[in-house]
Amino acid sequence: MKLLRSTDDGFVFQFARRERRLLLSILELYPLIPASYHRLSKTADPEQIAADQKLLDEALAAQKAENQRQLLAVLNEPGRFRLEADGYELTLSAEQVDWFLQVLNDVRVGSWLKLGCPDPSKEPPAEPTEDNVHYHVAMEFCGVVQSLLLQALDTRA
Amino acid sequence: MAGAVEPVVLPDLEQGQQSEPRSDLEPGFLVICWDDPVNLMDYVTHVFRVVFGWPKTKAEHHMLQVHHQGRSVLTRESLERAEHYVHQLQKYGLQATMERD
Repeated sequence: MKLLRSTDDGFVFQFARRERRLLLSILELYPLIPASYHRLSKTADPEQIAADQKLLDEALAAQKAENQRQLLAVLNEPGRFRLEADGYELTLSAEQVDWFLQVLNDVRVGSWLKLGCPDPSKEPPAEPTEDNVHYHVAMEFCGVVQSLLLQALDTRA
Repeated sequence: MAGAVEPVVLPDLEQGQQSEPRSDLEPGFLVICWDDPVNLMDYVTHVFRVVFGWPKTKAEHHMLQVHHQGRSVLTRESLERAEHYVHQLQKYGLQATMERD
């Protein structure tokens, strides 16, 4: 996959057929980060901030529901992935790239949580098993696509 | 679809209508981003730029603080604005909290 061109309207990315297939299957995992992952404070008494924490949880849940709705709408939009001779071309505006980064990062972080929060700087990565290999793939692939999108945004910085 | 973060517009309060404790309106809350081994460094920089409107150098400075020191104090705000920023950062999947200064 690569950035083909940057236009006034946004960016055109190219995906090989199997890359597109993998991307679409990984995006089906969204949302993956559980609500309990995000805390409002590390030091405040949980009872004292319970109401604020509830509001935060609700706001994040609403945001993810909206993202999920947008994800389905965007990916199912006719012509969003255009089949060309060298693969599929995906066109995204700068705003959509930012939003897509959020979605991919949710799947990346959520996969990392499912894998038990491994820290490669402290321990060698565990071998994937049949049960969790899809989380390994999702985490790595999301990271690769995120890097591509960030490089695209950087061309305009 | 999520775009650039718009500034929080606080409602005008007439005299005598102030309903929150004064301490909540003062900038006594630190917004902190914590390190984790999963978020990409360039992604964290991007999020700081979008959420706070910072230039790349300032965003990278705080990203490196998170990476090397385990956390970075991003801003000091009132309760309401601190909650807003924490929500924005968590929306992007970063580990952010607000702590009383």
